[in-house]
Amino acid sequence: MTDPILTISRATKRYGPVHALDRVDLTVEEGEFLTLLGPSGSGKTTLLSAIAGFAPLSEGRIDLRGRDITSEPPEHRDFGMVFQGYALFPTMTVRDNIAFPLKVRKRPASEIKKRVEYCLGLVQMEDFADRMPSQMSGGQQQRIALARALSFEPQVLLLDEPLSALDKKLRADLQWELKSLHDSLGVTFIYVTHDQDEALSMSDRVVILKDGRIQQQGVPDALYNHPRNRFVADFLGKSNFMDLPVRGREGDALTCAVGDTQFPVEAPGAEVRGDVLNLALRPERIRLGAPGEEMLDGTIRQVSYLGERCLVMVDHDVIGPLLISQATWKEGVTPRAGLPVSFGWDSDACVVMEAEPA
Amino acid sequence: MKTSGFRIFFMTGAWMVLAFLLLPILVVIPVSLTDTSYIGLPKESLSLQHYVAYFQDPRWLSATWTSIWIGLVVAVCATALGTAFAIGCWFLSNRASTIARWILITPILVPPVVQSLGFYRFWVTLGLIDTHVGVILAHTLLALPYVSISVFAALANLDPRIPQAARSLGASVWQTVRSVVLPAAMPGMVTGGIFAFIVSFDEIVGVLFITVRNVSTLPKKIWEGIQENIDPTIASVATMLVLLTLVATAVVIWRGREGAK
Repeated sequence: MTDPILTISRATKRYGPVHALDRVDLTVEEGEFLTLLGPSGSGKTTLLSAIAGFAPLSEGRIDLRGRDITSEPPEHRDFGMVFQGYALFPTMTVRDNIAFPLKVRKRPASEIKKRVEYCLGLVQMEDFADRMPSQMSGGQQQRIALARALSFEPQVLLLDEPLSALDKKLRADLQWELKSLHDSLGVTFIYVTHDQDEALSMSDRVVILKDGRIQQQGVPDALYNHPRNRFVADFLGKSNFMDLPVRGREGDALTCAVGDTQFPVEAPGAEVRGDVLNLALRPERIRLGAPGEEMLDGTIRQVSYLGERCLVMVDHDVIGPLLISQATWKEGVTPRAGLPVSFGWDSDACVVMEAEPA
Repeated sequence: MKTSGFRIFFMTGAWMVLAFLLLPILVVIPVSLTDTSYIGLPKESLSLQHYVAYFQDPRWLSATWTSIWIGLVVAVCATALGTAFAIGCWFLSNRASTIARWILITPILVPPVVQSLGFYRFWVTLGLIDTHVGVILAHTLLALPYVSISVFAALANLDPRIPQAARSLGASVWQTVRSVVLPAAMPGMVTGGIFAFIVSFDEIVGVLFITVRNVSTLPKKIWEGIQENIDPTIASVATMLVLLTLVATAVVIWRGREGAK
């Protein structure tokens, strides 16, 4: 493994009494697609601004390939940046926008011309070179902003919610393009978003932030399947939460109980404190069956049809309402409100939540 | 539409206000064409003699020229200073800059006589009484708020992330200001510069306080013309200024329409 390109240690940013960042430690590997994910106010944008050099840290340091850049001004950091509002220079043509970082670096004119053409090609916007930004749609402007940020071959590309101003379909298309651009160029991407789908679909690694602290980081499927705490389980996708008593324990295998029904929970490495467990259960991991077919019995309260799947709310005496997501093409019970059903799950479906730090 | 008594009342009122605003301006036109040698309406025929008198009198011409070049210097100085101030405040955009903005517009709020008295006291100490530099300095101060307000208005549309983008792309603060912020501020600078020129060209109270014989601007000359001899040349100068204003306004409106197309 090579050395990390960026090392952030104990980064703290205070605005008065508020900690926008609270002792954040993070390393970024060369060439990876790292996403900072969190709700608004989680500190993700502050962290990106600190990396870019726009928000000086109150404490902590940032190293770029072992060089301390904590107090370096933004223009010396050599990071391209793409913004939510595109931030194209309104008085310059597309060509001049993309040439800007190269002109500032005093590259020879012939090289600038070649490089601009190449970057326009990267984002498939060759025909737009002489347009003004105001003559283009949001998606087109964002492609130009991307070409501009890549034109000087930056060390790292920082993206601040670049797709959130675009409509849903365009957003999906650009996600694919961003990902393939990343894979073909090999540039390190640091991407900020509040959109979990964006984070999961593009990233090599996702860092989830809340209140200026990192909650959990990892590859997308590990985060989705093994959320550490309630916040992560709830923020990434949907989860049902249950507080259930522990009835037995053998190594990593626990036995929990819902009323009189006992069931096994595989919880490798989980810390079990006390005799009540907080479990998270994904809606799509719950099987629905005819009464008596599965582990527990309940009644359907509500059904919401979403096309490829439908969401079913099932009432149970002990656990209360439970959200179940079922593929609509699946054979078996056709859910409708008021229908008595049974439901159950595999032993690896439940994830034990860490107690929330007080 | 119903013609109620209410409507007639308000229409009459509106036309009367309009007449009240316009008539004093329009009355100078017949007066300027008078064939008499004093200020009054034409007696027997129309005459352009007072226009001829203006163009033949070196004192009128020199006063006009003085007003024009002082106005231009003021426009340049006020635009440079006001733009720098507005850009600085825009970058800071904190509490201190808001307070600074309020302080800068005080020249608009303070009564001109009070302001001029202040100029007089200070200029005596500084030895600037009756000098062109003194007038330029005073007028620049008076014109500054107009420039900074119009540049602020122009920068209000500039996304604060645009200068950030320029910085992240490798431009220093100075390069960012030159290549991104100044072009955005340009419309405001042009408007502010024109305003500054007009403020200076039009200003009389300050000039009366801080000049004696050495400096004579057009408004001061008109004022003296009324005080000393009741010369209809004043009316011809006034008419030319009114026409010039009308032409300039028409050009601005026409350009605005063309631009909107």
